[in-house]
Amino acid sequence: MVAGLFDSVVFLFTFLPVVLFLYYLIPEQLKNVLLLLASLVFYAWGEPVAVFLLIGLVLFDYACGLHLAKVLKNRRRARSAVMFCALVNLALLCVFLYGRTVLDGLRLILPVEIPFRGFALPMGMTFFTLQMLSYIIDVYRGNVKVQKNPADLALYGFMFPKISGGPLLRYEEMAGQLRARQMSAGKVGEGVMYFIRGLSKKVLFADNIGLLHTEVMALGAGQVSVLSAWLGCIAFSLEIYYNLSGYTDMAIGLGKMTGFDLPENFQYPYLAGSTTEFWYKWHMSLGAWFREYVYHPLGGGDAEESKQVRNILVIWLLAGLTHGLSWNYVIWGLYCGLLMVAEKLFLWRLLDQMPAVLGHIYSVFMVMVGWVFFFSQRAGGAFAYLGNMFGAGANGLADDRGMYLLVTNLVLLLVMVIGLFPFVHKGYESIMDRGGKGLALLNCVIYGVMFLLCVTYIVC
Amino acid sequence: MKRKRQKDFKSGRAYRRKTVALVFFGLLVLISLLELIPLEQDFSQKENRPLATRPKFSLEQAADGSFMEKYEAFRTDQFLGRNLWVSLKNRMDLLIGKRESNGVFKGKDHYLLEAIAEADQEKLEANLEAIGDFRAKYEKVPVYLALAPNAANILSDKLPRFAVTKDQEGMFRSISQELGEGVAWVDLSKTLAAHKKEEIYYRTDSHWTTLGAYYASQQLAESMQLDGTKTPKWEKYVVTNIFTGDLSLKSGYQTGYQESIYIYTAKNEKEMPQIVVDAKEGKTSTLYDRTKLKEMDAYGLFLGGSKGMVNIRTTADTTDRLLLVKDSYANCLIPFLVPYFREIIVIDPEFYEGNLNDIMEENKISRVLFLYSGNTFVQDDKISGVLRDG
Repeated sequence: MVAGLFDSVVFLFTFLPVVLFLYYLIPEQLKNVLLLLASLVFYAWGEPVAVFLLIGLVLFDYACGLHLAKVLKNRRRARSAVMFCALVNLALLCVFLYGRTVLDGLRLILPVEIPFRGFALPMGMTFFTLQMLSYIIDVYRGNVKVQKNPADLALYGFMFPKISGGPLLRYEEMAGQLRARQMSAGKVGEGVMYFIRGLSKKVLFADNIGLLHTEVMALGAGQVSVLSAWLGCIAFSLEIYYNLSGYTDMAIGLGKMTGFDLPENFQYPYLAGSTTEFWYKWHMSLGAWFREYVYHPLGGGDAEESKQVRNILVIWLLAGLTHGLSWNYVIWGLYCGLLMVAEKLFLWRLLDQMPAVLGHIYSVFMVMVGWVFFFSQRAGGAFAYLGNMFGAGANGLADDRGMYLLVTNLVLLLVMVIGLFPFVHKGYESIMDRGGKGLALLNCVIYGVMFLLCVTYIVC
Repeated sequence: MKRKRQKDFKSGRAYRRKTVALVFFGLLVLISLLELIPLEQDFSQKENRPLATRPKFSLEQAADGSFMEKYEAFRTDQFLGRNLWVSLKNRMDLLIGKRESNGVFKGKDHYLLEAIAEADQEKLEANLEAIGDFRAKYEKVPVYLALAPNAANILSDKLPRFAVTKDQEGMFRSISQELGEGVAWVDLSKTLAAHKKEEIYYRTDSHWTTLGAYYASQQLAESMQLDGTKTPKWEKYVVTNIFTGDLSLKSGYQTGYQESIYIYTAKNEKEMPQIVVDAKEGKTSTLYDRTKLKEMDAYGLFLGGSKGMVNIRTTADTTDRLLLVKDSYANCLIPFLVPYFREIIVIDPEFYEGNLNDIMEENKISRVLFLYSGNTFVQDDKISGVLRDG
């Protein structure tokens, strides 16, 4: 119900119908402009001030692109131009991402009073910046033509389907679609199903299991049993997956309704056999971005082993720090990075020999331990929580509170765990593919009911 | 050939996609258009809370985003057919195993039980301190504090399986210890626990039943050393047996359970003094308002609902005058106190805007009783206000 998100009455029953109605009505040449205007309204609804900042950023990057295109032949000048542009983008991001934390830190050290609190990070600014960098670098690399139309570049940055929750786009894959794209009734219908699936993942599942996580986090020290601690951690692991993948599905769905093909972002990550595979299947567009613009330039997988190790750790440290300036994000990043390095150097042999089931269990377990650092406010809290999960400082193995949480959430947990497996969706599709009017009708009823249930939880 | 291709097309993926798109856009357009109908309500009876209304636009509020937040809240709260959605959600929640809604447990044997409220330490300290100061100021007047345990405390075995709620007895213990000297603590928990097998709490309402209040009044009479010879022989009779209480509303759990409300009168009419009740809206001679039985909240029968100040004069043969500071729990207990006092001044600080010091000075009050339910008392922010020096 936060302004500027999909699961809101205003979005579903005012913004979306009006925008889609106009979009399908107006001629081809005007569609991009309409979509840009709609996206600006959407973003301004959530960030009424920051929208001007990001418009400024787009104009700056637009100018940089034009300049780059002019000096592209001269590699030295092009190089310095791209460096300058990237620095400006990143510096601006850092001001907003870390400004507040740094100022708070300074306030503790310095004797003088700093009246300025720093800015809050505007919604989606991290991804926005990364996407703009992608444009600049792709132009520098000569992979794409420079964008002459500032409105199209702004649309690439602001596109409302993806601005609040991804997927993270690379300019290369969008350049063609910004010029022309395929539209058909079938594609729109596919988009509708994507959207309703995503909305259900977010509203029916992620939000509800999130309540369990919140409840466990609200328990005081000494009230948490081993059972409660695990429930809280499982709840978070499910919540973050259903939330992010739900957002991606909604984005892909809205994209298809307007003719775009946005990349898939999750590929059943919890079924991975190693954490390396997990992160490969988790938020794939972000992984692809880091591989394309950080890992490969640093030498990628072709470099000598010690350099590869360094590269992996650098990327994970960056991945941790994009979430904020805090020790637990640093620890989380290093933890994930070190695990990946260990898997690359020697654990892979062990994982190869183990039965596949053990590999899955190992991977889920390691990822869940990582999430504890991710959801804890402070590093100390994370270690205390981990302690609880393994009995240290816990209120016994299972107490009434834990049992109550288990019993009252059991159905939801089971359904959500089953939903992690591909056979649910694939099975449904294969039944539906048998065809027939009856099944098509059933399909309509199922998606219609899902949508109405989502409305229930949005309204109440 | 052509016909076959057409059939494939009609029944294949494309057909499925198109039909689902039609259904979705149909729903979207239908709901969006119906949403345009300007129907506004400012209170939801079903959820027992005020609803957000259309916010006024201002540039400042738009710039800091607060207008958008208010507008979203307005659209959500005023959503078409809100009550239907609310009951659908309650059913869904129950279906997936939730046993708690809006701070109300769906317990065993049709019991709805309000979760025990966490103490608001700051306000609680302020209230206890104010009561202590009040006591010190009128040192000749005995002051009593009686807290009624809530159903989830006494009937904890009726909570859903494994459900845990806050430790109310622990709160009571620390309150009774913190009470300054001179304020007498009346322990109602023990009395009610001894009768927990009887119908001392409503199943669908947050209050105790008249029977519960009756047992509590016996404990009060003992602790306050009221004149036992004045106690009439009580007889109960039922006034309604289709009562559905406030917890059903608050939680949205419509169990369909209906229960009885009893009132107690003296078997022998002569044992009961005559009364004149004055609640600033004309005098009456009864403590019950039967018109409330037809309303949503039938517990309003007792004392006609909570009011800021009610003055009860009796023909009892005594000079004892009671100042009763209370919440709605006391409403059904007051009839049991009538035989012992010449006058009872009932103050509900929630609705009272005056000051108790004035009442103490204007009337010859001989005793003061604070009677609250545990949940209200530990969260109350009004008591210290009415006790403060004018």
